[in-house]
Amino acid sequence: MKKLFALILTLAMAMSLVACGGSKTNEPASSGSTTPAATTEPAKTDTPAAPTKMTLILRAGTYADVIKECLPAFEAEHNVTCEVQELSESDLYSGIALDAINAQGTYDLCMVDGSWMAEFTENGVLANLSELGYTLDDDIIPATTAICYVDGDVYLAPYYGNVTVLLYNKANVEAAGFTGDSIANLDDILTICKKAQADGKKGFIFRGDSQNNLVVDFLPILLSFGGWVIDENNQPTVNSDAFKKAMNFYLDLISTGDAEVKDDLIASVDTGAGTMGVGWPGWYTPTADTTADYTAITGVASAGDQAYNANVYGIWTIGVPANSQNKELGVELLSYLMDKDVQKSTVPSGGVPCRYSSLQDADVLATYPQYEVVCKALEGGMYRPVIAEWTQFYTILGTEMDNIVNGVKTVDQGLADAQSQLESLMAG
Amino acid sequence: MKNTNLEKLNSAQAQTKRFGITMISPTVLVLLVMTAYPLIFTVYYSFTNYNLLKVLKNPAKFIGLKNYIDLLSNTYFRQAILNTVKFTILAVIFEMLIGFLMALLVNSLKRGQKVMRTLLLLPYLLPTVTVALSWRMMLSPNYGIVNQVLEALNLPVYNWFSDIKTAFGMLLLIDIWQSAPFVFLLLYAALQSVPQSQYEAARIDGAGALQTLFYVTIPNIKNSLALCALMRTIDSFRLFDKVNLLTGGGPANSTATITQYIYNFGIKALDFGFGSAGALVMTLLVLFLSSFYIKRAMG
Repeated sequence: MKKLFALILTLAMAMSLVACGGSKTNEPASSGSTTPAATTEPAKTDTPAAPTKMTLILRAGTYADVIKECLPAFEAEHNVTCEVQELSESDLYSGIALDAINAQGTYDLCMVDGSWMAEFTENGVLANLSELGYTLDDDIIPATTAICYVDGDVYLAPYYGNVTVLLYNKANVEAAGFTGDSIANLDDILTICKKAQADGKKGFIFRGDSQNNLVVDFLPILLSFGGWVIDENNQPTVNSDAFKKAMNFYLDLISTGDAEVKDDLIASVDTGAGTMGVGWPGWYTPTADTTADYTAITGVASAGDQAYNANVYGIWTIGVPANSQNKELGVELLSYLMDKDVQKSTVPSGGVPCRYSSLQDADVLATYPQYEVVCKALEGGMYRPVIAEWTQFYTILGTEMDNIVNGVKTVDQGLADAQSQLESLMAG
Repeated sequence: MKNTNLEKLNSAQAQTKRFGITMISPTVLVLLVMTAYPLIFTVYYSFTNYNLLKVLKNPAKFIGLKNYIDLLSNTYFRQAILNTVKFTILAVIFEMLIGFLMALLVNSLKRGQKVMRTLLLLPYLLPTVTVALSWRMMLSPNYGIVNQVLEALNLPVYNWFSDIKTAFGMLLLIDIWQSAPFVFLLLYAALQSVPQSQYEAARIDGAGALQTLFYVTIPNIKNSLALCALMRTIDSFRLFDKVNLLTGGGPANSTATITQYIYNFGIKALDFGFGSAGALVMTLLVLFLSSFYIKRAMG
């Protein structure tokens, strides 16, 4: 009896091992319908072919919502079913990266933040769209395509035109004697926020909950002072005079308000408990009746100063992973989503295409006048540094900025520490 | 005849031994696959510059102790260790104390023990993400009920998770709120098994409530107390989800734990070599703390 039991156990173990170590070569057979050959050549049988399954990995929120609403038409036309994974920014990044190491990838279309571009293309994560027959058309705002090319080939298409804007509460701004259009420089912003603080409200709200948010909210201020985080040789420049001036101004500005998470920031500005903060068009849809609105950041520090380009892109681009099992279909889906009419159809749901045909359309502007501001901001925006080390870069810089903001380090001390750490990072 | 019997006995013993080995082999196999294999690879990666994306083009290189040197010489990692140890000590002390008091209270109830037991357990049954987000809503500087109540009472209000003075304390409070019921559950079960005869004997001998507690109750449940403390120590040391959801390690690293540091500087940037070194240092620290309990209290 014992021998029999032992034999059964051994057999069970052996079977488990065989099952766990199943060869990957079996996978295409079991998912044969998803191979490119199968998808491009319809089955020549009387019964309709089973739909091909495509998997999309997208940034959760309005960005994914507008894509999802366009999918049914594509699914019906191409006999596919699309499964959409909606993730937070960090999960999206790791999701794409973790899948990239597999020979046969899970995803057929991915949403990519501009700042990941260098790392992804350097390591062969994304498919060359030019080789697959895709080109970017002239209707797309040229500046938004700056990071989409590598050696003249297209790897990404700018899908959602996120660019930093100044989100403000109309009543609080008016109480300080300004309107959204009359905020001409950073000094005006500080004046408005100080007035709000004197009235017992919060002035400037910033996101202090992560290193990335701390850095991103600060970048438009830094740009307005003529500073930037790296030079033309990709060497860090965070210990510069411009950076220090911008940081000192930022400390004054944030002392009028509070650090809050994104949802609190929006609620705060909407209710008037807070006055303004750096935001993204995807966060808030202003209308004539809403209490808040947004305007482009002018890029001028003080009256009479030089105007810099201070709009930082947070554009969500779309691409096809290099290991996709349905590359041709992926490119077809990407082309469909980037189509002028399809993109324009997403505007009522909060879509922000990087296209003149949408953002300068008379009908669109009649209903959504704020798109004029967005268009201008997109025409002269800046991508975050296109360096493979950006994740480590902002983590280091954000950590030191967090110390400065909370008074643990002085501006000089914090920025000097950040500079030395970033120099060793960039030196490899 | 005697030799034959001895041979038979040896053969039976060997058979029993073989059967025992066969019986434990599935568990050993699972442990090898799920624990030993990842552990060996973590140790191996900790000596390399393994980056998940970079290995697609360039294989990882052996870099000796560089990851460990970088880690241990990093101010923020040392701060994360201090924060973690501080958090673990405070959390374990308060959770044990509150959980024990709850267990004593419920155990002493003549009626309603089941209702109280269920109600007190509720926080522990909630997923951590739900707990974190619920507390974030309650402590929101805009619409949070806590600040509204404080304002109504003319008391000062705080931006709880963004203020360097309050963020750590809030995380500690939330962890205690969620995990004290776990301690309560284990100790309540242990209290039920204390022989009533010992209490009666103590009463006859004229022992007071405190004497009964220290000379009857605690000695009877000391193994459960040690087990609870051990489990809470290990769990508190691995604190990540609440920190990541509520503070991200800020403000100014005041709530950064070892796991949060490893996530921020290793995993998030896909530097798994560096992350592996951090994970091993943390494992050694947990083992060190755990061995104290295992040796001293559990024999």
